Amino acid sequence: MATSLPSRRRFLTGAGAAGLSAMLSGCVTSVRSGGGTAGGAVTLQSNLSSPQAKSALQTVVDAFNSRGGSRVSLNTIASETFRTQLPTYLTSANPPDLYTWYPGSVADAYAKRDLLLDLDDLWKGPDLSRYSAALKRLCSTRSGTKVFVPTTYYWWAFFYRKSQFEKWGVSPPETWDEFLDLCDKLKGKKVEPIGMGAGGNTAWISSSWFDYLNIRINGPQYHRDLLAGRHRFDDPEVRRVFDRWDEARPFLDSKSTALPFQDATTELLQGRTGMMLIGTFFADAVPKGGLDDIDFFRFPAIDPEVPMAEEAPTDGYFASARSRRTRQTKELLGYLATAEAQELYLKGSSGTALPTHPDAKDSGTALVKKGRALIEGADEVTQFFNRDSSDELAPTADTALIRYLAEPEKIGSILTTWQRDAEKIWGK
Amino acid sequence: MRTTTPPAPTTQATQATQATNSRALHRRRAATVGFHAGAGLLSVLWLIPIALVLVTAVRSFDDIAANGLGALPHSFTLDGFSQAWTDGGQQRALVNSLLVTVPTVLLSLLLASMAAFALSRYDLPGRRTLLLVMLGGNLLPPQILLIPVSKMAELFALHDTLWALIGVQVGFGIGFFVFVLHGFMRAIPAEVQQAAVIDGAGPAQIYWRIVLPLSRPALAALGALSFTWIFNDLLWAITVLRTETRMPITASLLGLQGQYVSQWNVIAAGSVIAAAPTVLVFLRFQRHFVAGLNLGAVK
Amino acid sequence: MAVLEEAPPVPASRPPRTRRRRGAATRVHPVVVTFVLLPLLIEGFWVFWPALQGFYLSVTDWDGISAAQFVGLDNFREMFGDQVFRDAAVNTALWLLLFGGLSALLGLGAALLLQQERRGVGFYRAALFLPVVFSLVATALVWQAMYQPDGLINNVLEGVGLDGLTRSWLADRDTALYAVLVPALWRQVGYVMVLYLAGLKGIDPMLHEAAKVDGATPWQRFRHVTLPQLRSVNAVVLSVIVIDSLRSFDVVWALTQGGPYHSSELLSTYMYSTAFESLRLGYGSALSVVIFVLAFGVIASYLVRAFREAD
Repeated sequence: MATSLPSRRRFLTGAGAAGLSAMLSGCVTSVRSGGGTAGGAVTLQSNLSSPQAKSALQTVVDAFNSRGGSRVSLNTIASETFRTQLPTYLTSANPPDLYTWYPGSVADAYAKRDLLLDLDDLWKGPDLSRYSAALKRLCSTRSGTKVFVPTTYYWWAFFYRKSQFEKWGVSPPETWDEFLDLCDKLKGKKVEPIGMGAGGNTAWISSSWFDYLNIRINGPQYHRDLLAGRHRFDDPEVRRVFDRWDEARPFLDSKSTALPFQDATTELLQGRTGMMLIGTFFADAVPKGGLDDIDFFRFPAIDPEVPMAEEAPTDGYFASARSRRTRQTKELLGYLATAEAQELYLKGSSGTALPTHPDAKDSGTALVKKGRALIEGADEVTQFFNRDSSDELAPTADTALIRYLAEPEKIGSILTTWQRDAEKIWGK
Repeated sequence: MRTTTPPAPTTQATQATQATNSRALHRRRAATVGFHAGAGLLSVLWLIPIALVLVTAVRSFDDIAANGLGALPHSFTLDGFSQAWTDGGQQRALVNSLLVTVPTVLLSLLLASMAAFALSRYDLPGRRTLLLVMLGGNLLPPQILLIPVSKMAELFALHDTLWALIGVQVGFGIGFFVFVLHGFMRAIPAEVQQAAVIDGAGPAQIYWRIVLPLSRPALAALGALSFTWIFNDLLWAITVLRTETRMPITASLLGLQGQYVSQWNVIAAGSVIAAAPTVLVFLRFQRHFVAGLNLGAVK
Repeated sequence: MAVLEEAPPVPASRPPRTRRRRGAATRVHPVVVTFVLLPLLIEGFWVFWPALQGFYLSVTDWDGISAAQFVGLDNFREMFGDQVFRDAAVNTALWLLLFGGLSALLGLGAALLLQQERRGVGFYRAALFLPVVFSLVATALVWQAMYQPDGLINNVLEGVGLDGLTRSWLADRDTALYAVLVPALWRQVGYVMVLYLAGLKGIDPMLHEAAKVDGATPWQRFRHVTLPQLRSVNAVVLSVIVIDSLRSFDVVWALTQGGPYHSSELLSTYMYSTAFESLRLGYGSALSVVIFVLAFGVIASYLVRAFREAD
């Protein structure tokens, strides 16, 4: 269209467009540097929106405020909204100071863009300096800066009701074959053997199956490399993951992709499903007292050659690099890193998480003791699909895995599509 | 579904006197029964989901977990309401919603009526284009504006305030309001205005003393209608607000869903609370409502 | 549109025809100008200015965090090879057709059924209209409860012996789009009904009387009297439907988020997930430009025709 215009006019149009776009880009995409100091309460933006976790964190916040130092105001956002708004929060001119989120490659991705507050000095403090070397590594960026304060971690496993297993006369399996046998028995008793909870807003639960199968078949190192883009999703190794999944698929609850994990938890508690691969956060959806009957077994071994890694995601906090209350924010982070604060939180919540502070006591239940032993005995620890990759890659996994569960025969084209979608993310 | 057009009320009386033979009477009675059966069935179909929510809201969690969501209730409790109202923060959210909705409605009506007045009663150059452009703004997919709007609110230090929410709602809704009011004001006879001009009234007086009062039905109708629209907004709220205590009821309801995922009794109770104000406005101003929807359609 | 065709405006000072082409603005009263400019400025500030920025973003590659890269029309080029985009476009067309067509048909049907003032009609109208005042979030939650695997719909199907039909409506790729369509229609039909009710009321009863005298059947009267008289209402219904089709985003998003695996994906949900989940704001903005062009195309072509008729 521009070709027919006289050259001078074209030049002007071009110059105008360039000027306009410069102006526009200056307006929307620029990030004003905040920093400096300001008074007022530290804002803690939290995605812990389940009733128990929310009130537990409120207790911690109240305890901090009652110490008479800096003040903090807790701001709980529905986890779904929080996830989509996090980049907006972090890039805003006057951002909230502190956020609940995850360490590892997720935090690294934000740190690479200079969005996270440097916490190196805080880690020299009396509490954090005693944290385990693994945690120190996990909370550092690739360049070695500490940007994260971990407070709790938890584990994934197959959870079941002890009384139901007794009733059905079955026991937890060690190997994949025993696992399939167990499923077969449960099916014979007209129970849906395996619940999942990858429906509703929690399609991401399906990633746990992918993670574990990949870790058990191809090993944790391959898994991490794959998520970092150093392998391809349409490789034969990945295909083997789905061959195994095919063996377990007939035993999955028919409502696997229809119910969110909270509803799937109810199904498990009601004895309608036999077991469920889930993280301990599901306990938030368990009514009081219901946890006593809960036990778990680790994801069974598939290849004895492969080291037994477990998924044990760490939770905690990072702060905005643009916070105007860095001193107060660090004061709060220092408090959250203490054994006292972590014990307080665990007491108020469902108590199924483990504290990161070496001195902090966990809730001491048999379940938690067993969970701690599981992770401490693990050869390696992985976080979870999104935490080991990025918030952007996770939706591609959800799409691919949910599709596989509905149309398993199309796995070839599903993996090709997955690879293509992932490349768009990695390519950025 | 009946495709016949029944006689207008004015002719009913004459019809009735004519309907002396019993066959016609019989047919009319059958038609009445048919009408009520059809319309009744349709209404029941429409009300079922609402009834389901009302019933679910007063069931207990244990009942729902044990018997399923679609089962007949085995319990009655108002726990769901109290949890949604206090723990779920719906009380505060409701106040926020009203704090945003009322000023937004008033401001929108004022601004839109001004523009509609000028565009419909004066031969401004390019007024059609202007009208089209203003309406066009309303047709933009809101998603395209989300990121820029949130950045701009920050730039002007309005982010996370109810003012930003009011601003963007007024701005985004104004196009449609102008369009509708323009249609209404155009239909006001020219003589009314000419008489005022002869009396020496300026545009401001004509607007305030003549056109605005004459547009009162349109304004009332549009007000009732826009109340529900603005009250029900979600997208803008989660875009410009980030503090829990400032969120309006819709965002709070979404939060409630995230918070009490499997606890359908709380979610249902929350939905009832969130819908109650608009239902009340609707029941109270039903006539205006219906009129409001028609403003564009009839002269 | 009918309302735009009638009643010539009062000239600001002189008869309009003589001065339409040049220098008109000088003679328009400043108050009148202010009356237009003030709202326009507000809309400009909150809508047009951000929209321009949105358009600018559509030619960039931006993750919301680092600096945006200008990439020209690459985003639009990418759409041609994007299977999800194509599916979403097809679904959007289907949505417009089904949502628009069914709400217009059902709305008109309900209006015809309930047009006569008689006992109980107010209740029926209110029942059909009630969902209109619900927020889309509430609507979505209500229907999520209906669609639950152990929810009312499946229970009723089992109750009448149609067990074979029960399914996870929202999680099944064959039913997800239609399952989302139902709540959207549930909310829309009452709205359209009210529009048509008013339209029907506006028809001169004499026309029907005359047709009756001429021996026209009810169908003929509907076809040759009612329908032509509803032309102006149809215009409004069309605009309302197109606008609301775009706004249907909330209900789709709340119920399926475009899933399972894009089977209920509309352009609007795809845009949202691209921009906010995958953080590809440039591509997301390009998608919203496409949505805008489509919507504006439909409405503008209609408006232009209406304006032309007026002249």
